[in-house]
Amino acid sequence: MNWSNVRLIFQREVRDQLRDRRTLFMIAVLPVVLYPLLGMSMFQVAQFVREQATRVLVVGEWRAPEEPALFEDGHFAGRWFHDPNSNKLLSVEFLSKEKLEAEEVDAEAQRTAWRLAIDQGRYDAVLVFPGDFRERLAELKQSLNADRPKEAEAIRRIEIPKPEILYSSASEKSQVTENRLQAVLGRWDDEIGRENLSMGFLPENVARPFESVTKDLAVQGHRDAAIWSKVLPFLLLIWALTGAFYPAVDLCAGEKERGTLETLLCSPAERIEIVWGKLLTVMLFSMATAVLNLLSMGLTGSFVLSQLPRFGPPPPLAPIWLLVALVPVSAMFSALCLALAAFARSSKEGQYYLMPLVLVTLPLVMLPMAPGVELSLGNSLIPVTGIVLLLRAMLEGNYQQALIYGPPVIVVTLACCLLAIRWAVDQFNSESVLFRESERFDLKSWLRQMMHDREDTPSVAGAFFCGVLILLIRFFMGFALPQPNSFAELAKLTVVTQLVVVATPALLMTIMLTRSFRKTLLMRLPKATSLVTSLLSLVAAVLLAACVFPSVGWLGVVVEELYPLNPELKKSLTEMFTQTPNIWMMLFVMAVTPAICEELAFRGFMLSGFRHMGHKWRAIVLSSLFFGVTHAIFQQSIVTFFIGMVIGYLAVQTGSLLPCMLYHLTHNSLTVLTSQVNSEMLRDVPILDYLLVQMQDGSILCRWQTTAIAGLAALVLFVWFRQLPYAKTAEESLQEAIDSHASHAPT
Amino acid sequence: MIHAEHLHKEYADLRRGKLVALGDVSFSAKAGEIFGLLGPNGAGKTTALRIISTMLRPSSGLVTVNGYDVVTQPSEVRHQIGYVSTNTGVYDRMTAWEVVEYFGRLFRVKEEPLRERMESLFTRLKMNDIRDVLGAKMSTGMKQKVSVARALVHDPPVLIFDEATNGLDVLAARALLETVAELRSNGKCVIFSTHIMREAEKLCDSIAIMHRGHVLTCGTLPELRVAHDEQDLEELFFRLISEHDAVFPESAAC
Repeated sequence: MNWSNVRLIFQREVRDQLRDRRTLFMIAVLPVVLYPLLGMSMFQVAQFVREQATRVLVVGEWRAPEEPALFEDGHFAGRWFHDPNSNKLLSVEFLSKEKLEAEEVDAEAQRTAWRLAIDQGRYDAVLVFPGDFRERLAELKQSLNADRPKEAEAIRRIEIPKPEILYSSASEKSQVTENRLQAVLGRWDDEIGRENLSMGFLPENVARPFESVTKDLAVQGHRDAAIWSKVLPFLLLIWALTGAFYPAVDLCAGEKERGTLETLLCSPAERIEIVWGKLLTVMLFSMATAVLNLLSMGLTGSFVLSQLPRFGPPPPLAPIWLLVALVPVSAMFSALCLALAAFARSSKEGQYYLMPLVLVTLPLVMLPMAPGVELSLGNSLIPVTGIVLLLRAMLEGNYQQALIYGPPVIVVTLACCLLAIRWAVDQFNSESVLFRESERFDLKSWLRQMMHDREDTPSVAGAFFCGVLILLIRFFMGFALPQPNSFAELAKLTVVTQLVVVATPALLMTIMLTRSFRKTLLMRLPKATSLVTSLLSLVAAVLLAACVFPSVGWLGVVVEELYPLNPELKKSLTEMFTQTPNIWMMLFVMAVTPAICEELAFRGFMLSGFRHMGHKWRAIVLSSLFFGVTHAIFQQSIVTFFIGMVIGYLAVQTGSLLPCMLYHLTHNSLTVLTSQVNSEMLRDVPILDYLLVQMQDGSILCRWQTTAIAGLAALVLFVWFRQLPYAKTAEESLQEAIDSHASHAPT
Repeated sequence: MIHAEHLHKEYADLRRGKLVALGDVSFSAKAGEIFGLLGPNGAGKTTALRIISTMLRPSSGLVTVNGYDVVTQPSEVRHQIGYVSTNTGVYDRMTAWEVVEYFGRLFRVKEEPLRERMESLFTRLKMNDIRDVLGAKMSTGMKQKVSVARALVHDPPVLIFDEATNGLDVLAARALLETVAELRSNGKCVIFSTHIMREAEKLCDSIAIMHRGHVLTCGTLPELRVAHDEQDLEELFFRLISEHDAVFPESAAC
């Protein structure tokens, strides 16, 4: 790559964007104006909400005791409020005795009338004092009178009717009124209780011997940091994304629209240089947007905060950490936006892609805001989420925690950046993306074309379609079929799922979308120089599975350590495996069926399709991704992804599905067999004890010595497979020719 | 200079199935020659030229430009050519001078020679009065002049003009044709695609007549006249096309 070309393109794009009034407005003017305006309007709205009074209809106020007085001068008395002046916030209207008596014919009709009144907004709540309320309260008071003491039992029998607050939870204003009324009546009730106690010559502390006191030990600075550390990373990410999106659309889709992209494509700049030049521009604008927004918000915020005595400014080092985090975040978002924007034909189409991008990113940004989500190794490996959590730890001053989990976050973020950039470069290398023309989509002709123009093996799109179809059918089957409760049910479910969900789509698509069943599903002996080598590779596949198996077990342990499995799920899984009536039956269900069905779909149809991309490893990774995701439990998906990589490599090197099926069969059989091993067997059979070890949770793993030796043997087997003459697809050969020329070209 | 052998290009088209944009196209063009690609819209001219300029990859076949292969050595090929088409836009927010300078730098022309070359190009193409005009404010003719200056800035041995006179008025078109003729006398290899007979007749040394992705005939003008026993190029063109459609009615229907 020639960096002087990248610099030239970068300089031009930046100048171009700076001459565009829309971009300048979005990046510089909007944030400067937006926050002061927002702050001002928020003050006004807050004022409005605070001042708003609600209306209560009080029915039967003459039934309430006169002392202590609930009402005063046509309002609730100020003493029942936290702030005595806020009694005006509940404006009261009394229903007169005469009117009530005139109306109180049918209680049901009365209630309907009040509900209507609330629905129509004439009142926000109705407070009804029941008949005899005052009399009963008085009776209770009397009975406590020391002159005429009564039995405790008799006092208990005095039933006081309950006042009712009628409100509607469908109206927010009505809910607020209900809250206010509850608070007022609560204080009034407490006061009546206190008077009653003193009437019986009992001090107040008899009924309430103690009251707990809460004390917040957080230092002011820490409390502020906790709040800021949730808000700032969120804002940073959202603005970095927004700031990247609009320039990206203008730089790619806009350039296509204006016809200048073709001019650039026939210049000596390589596609990768064009992408880097544009990427750096988008990054610059993404960072500028985030910084300007945070600055402007900070200025407005500091003014607003000076009005709030209980809330302080963000930690002093915050700007530095935010800036450090901004670089990789912007890089990742910029590359993503660029790749998406390159796909769009016009700026208008480009704008449509913002929503899907936000929908994918937002959960990852929001996840760290959920209560209890802390920086851990598992979380630090999740893209975006990891960086938000790391940033939070830095802002809170948890440097030790940040230091521990910083490296994984940085590695994951860098990997995501590289992948996103790679995707953007691929988009610029794809002529179907760059010269995409609009055509009318018609399902019938599309299907006809797929059937008519079949190749020997499926297309990349066909492979994707198969993967997505399998996932969708699996998802809906999961709802339709009941959860298995016994091994028999599990067996039935597994076989049906394998046949219907995995094998059938792949086989049907092979028949409909390809010309050669044999080439697509690799139905042949392993490719090798002689029949002996070919048969040897079958044996080697079985050996390889046995040698990789111990490491996979430990990988499972590591994954579970990172992302602990729900204990109930784990228990039910183990139980199902141990309650086996027949080991042969179990092997058939868990090993034979998946070995055939899953291999047909993932290494057969899908891998053959993905190999048309021209990169064998990319094809292997993609097919393994689908293989992993199809397994419903997340922890299992990670492990199966790696197994998929190994089997995918076998498929490519041998050009046959047989070694893959044998590998899969061996691996799954070993899993089933080790699940049957228990502590007695370990004690009684010395060879098992020599190879295996029981973990604390009862699971069986290979000893580390076994694992290490088997791992070395696996490496040897890999080297053996590597030297097999593997058959390249036309696309892979072409890519190789281009790469070899590129590496020999004068720089 | 340019050799295309058995060039084949297919697209997947939703409605028409697999669409053959170029089917077994072969031709070659020498230095000091204007090679014309003559054909109606949709004949495959632009596809062929995009393959030569490495923007598209052929499905099969071989193309070399000045000895460099377009598939495996795209970067070297791009150094050899200057490409002008109706689609090669001029940046709206850049002035004429900035556009030409930008591409000169991308082609790694040194600062001093670049300045000299740009001065002479701006004078030769009579562009000095639009030097500081932004692309957005230019007329089509002015934009095309900037495009030509941009394609010539690195003094490439091969120049490709893809329907470059489209949308130009008579005066601007004539000026462009004069420039093209001048390039030939400077020893450049020029490929000139057009659907206008007059231009091809006046300008081109050799002509390939294309229709529906195939080269129907190829040769110098006198050779074509003798081979097909027809003096008028327009008549010759129509005859070849109707003969082709008569033989391949299926392709004519789509």
